[in-house]
Amino acid sequence: MITTVRNRFVVSEGRFGRVLVTFMALGFLALVGAGIAAGWATSRNADYTRWVNHTYEVELSVSNARRLIEQGEASRRGYLLTGNVEYRDAYRRWAASLTPALVRLQRLTRDNPRQVAALRVLRTEIAALLVQRGRTMALIDAGRIEAATALFRGEASVRRLAVIRNAFEGMAVTERRLLEQRDAAQRANVRAFYVILAIAAVLLAFVALASLLTVLRYTRDLSQSRDTLRDFNARLEETVSERTADLSRANEEIQRFAYIVSHDLRSPLVNVMGFTAELSAATTPLTEMLDRAEAECPGIVSEDARLAVREDLPEAIGFIRTSTQKMDRLINAILKLSREGRRVITPEPIDPAAVTETIAGSIRHLLDDRGVTLTVERPIPGLVTDRVALEQILSNLIENATKYLQPGRPGTITVSGESRRDRVILSVADNGRGIDPRDHQRIFDLFRRSGQQDQPGEGIGLAHVRALAYRLGGTIDVDSALGRGSTFRINLPKAFDVQDSPS
Amino acid sequence: MNAPHQSVGIVMIEDDEGHARLIEKNIRRAGILNDIKHFTDGTQALHYLFEAADGPAKSGPALVLLDLNLPDMSGTDILAQIKAEGSALKRTPVVVLTTTDDKIEIQRCYDLGCNVYITKPVNYESFAQAIRQLGLFLSVIQVPEVEEH
Repeated sequence: MITTVRNRFVVSEGRFGRVLVTFMALGFLALVGAGIAAGWATSRNADYTRWVNHTYEVELSVSNARRLIEQGEASRRGYLLTGNVEYRDAYRRWAASLTPALVRLQRLTRDNPRQVAALRVLRTEIAALLVQRGRTMALIDAGRIEAATALFRGEASVRRLAVIRNAFEGMAVTERRLLEQRDAAQRANVRAFYVILAIAAVLLAFVALASLLTVLRYTRDLSQSRDTLRDFNARLEETVSERTADLSRANEEIQRFAYIVSHDLRSPLVNVMGFTAELSAATTPLTEMLDRAEAECPGIVSEDARLAVREDLPEAIGFIRTSTQKMDRLINAILKLSREGRRVITPEPIDPAAVTETIAGSIRHLLDDRGVTLTVERPIPGLVTDRVALEQILSNLIENATKYLQPGRPGTITVSGESRRDRVILSVADNGRGIDPRDHQRIFDLFRRSGQQDQPGEGIGLAHVRALAYRLGGTIDVDSALGRGSTFRINLPKAFDVQDSPS
Repeated sequence: MNAPHQSVGIVMIEDDEGHARLIEKNIRRAGILNDIKHFTDGTQALHYLFEAADGPAKSGPALVLLDLNLPDMSGTDILAQIKAEGSALKRTPVVVLTTTDDKIEIQRCYDLGCNVYITKPVNYESFAQAIRQLGLFLSVIQVPEVEEH
C-alpha cells in the first residue's frame, strides 16, 4: 500500500517537474533571445543614427565650405570695386577659415572614395582659385587696380566657380542619397526590432500559458496526492493503534499465560513434593523394621528388599526432591519475569552512582569475602527512571561480576556512566573470567548460562536484567573475551517515557 | 493438643485432592481431631456454608480453609461472601491456602477480611510446619465458642 502510493506520487512529480522545467527553460531562452535581439537592434539603430548624423554633418560641412568660397568671392569683388580695406580683411578671414573647413570635410568623407575623389578635384580647383584671388588681392594692395580688374576680367574665375559649385552640389547629392539609404535601413531595422519583440511576446505568452496549465495540473495532482496521503495517514494511524492494541493485548496475554502456567504448574508440584515427603517419612518405619528383622530374623530379609529400602527408595526420593526443587525455582523465575512485566514503572530522578554505592553497601560482606574491589567512577549522569528496576539491573550485574572471577586475579568492578544525547550509558566492567563471544547473546536468554557451571544459579539473572532494561525503554549488551573480563553496557533513555516501554 | 469439645468444624475448600489429603494428614499429625469437611468446588462449599442444616451458618462454629483457585469460581469470591456485611459467617475465621505468593493477591485477601494467608510451599517441611501452627491456632479459637454456642 505504502509503496504504490509513494511510487505514483514520485512518477507524476517527476514528469510534471520535467515538463515544468522544460517550459521554464524555453521561456527564459525566449527572453534571453528577445533581449539579445533587442540589444542588437538597438545597437544597429544607434549605428544608423550615427551614420545619418554623419551625413547631415557632411552636408553641413559642404555647404559651409561653399558658403566660405562664395563669401570670399563676394569680398574679393567688393575690394576690387571699392578698394575698401574692410573687404580685404573680410576676404582674408574667409580665406583663412576655408582651409580648416576643407580639412574637416576631408576628414568626414575619408571613408567614401567617391567623395574623396570629388574633394580632390575640388581642392585643386580651390587652390587654383585661391592663387588667382591672391594675385588679384596683391595687385589691389599695390594700387594697381586696373591690372587687377584686367586680371579679373581675363581669369576663368566664373567657370572655375561653376566647377566648384557643381562639385559641391555633387557631394551634397551623394550625401543625400546616402542619407536616404541609411534612413531606409534604419526604418527596416526598427521594423525588424518590432518583429523580434512581437515574436518574443508571443513566445512568452505561450510559455506563460503552458507553464500556468502545467502548474495548475501539477497543483491539482498534488492536492489529489495530498488527499490520498491524508486518507492513507488516517488509515495508517488507525492501523498503528490497532496493531499497538493487538501487541499490548498479545503481551498481556503472554504475561497472563506465563503467570497462569507457572501458577498452575506449582499446584501439582506441591503434590509431588508433599507426597515425596510422605514417602520419605514412610521409609523411616520401613528402615526400622528392616533393622529389627535383620537383627532378629535375618533369614526373612531378602537381598532385594534390603536394597530397595536402604538404597533404591532414598535414591529415588532424593532425585525427585532435587528435580522438583529445581522445577520450583524455574517456575518462580518465570513468575518473577511475568510479574516484572506487569509491574507499574514509576519514574523518578535517580543518581546511578548513589544507587551503586547502596548496592555495594548491601553486598559489602560478599565483596569482602571474595576480595573484590568495587569502584564507582564519578560523575555518572543522572536519569529519570524506575528506581527498583535500575537497582535490580545494577545489583544483578555487580553480583554476577563478583561470582565469575578469573582464578588467581583479585576481582575489580568498575561502574561508570556517560551521557550521549538523550541517552545514558551505564557500564559495569569487571576483570573476571569473561564470556565466550559465542555466548554473548545466549546469556540473556532465560535458563541459559555460559562457561564452567561452578556457581549456583539458574540462568535467570541476565534474562531478568534484559527484561528490566527493555521495560525501561533501554537495551543491554556485553563486550567480553575469555580471560579478560566483561563489560555490560546498559543504554537507557535519560528520561523514561511511557511510550518507550513495550506493553 | 486435643480439644475438649470438637465443635469447631473445619471446612476445607480445595479442588486438588492431593493438596487436600496432604493438608488433612498434616492437620491430623498436628493432633487436631476436629471434623474436616472437604469440598472440591465453590458452589457446593457455599451451599454447605450458608444453606445446609448442619452447616456453619445454621449450627456450630467453623474454620474455613480456602484455596483461591477453584474450577467454578475464584476463592476470593467465596471469601468476599463469607466476610460480607451482614453475613452469618462474618466472624468465621478464614485461612487462605494457595500457591500464589503474589503480593497484590495477598493484600486483596487481607482487605477482604481473610484471617491468615498461607502460601503452599513446595518445601514440604515448612508447609507441614505452617499446618501445625494452624492447629495451634485452631485450639485457640475454640475458647470463645465454648461459652457462646
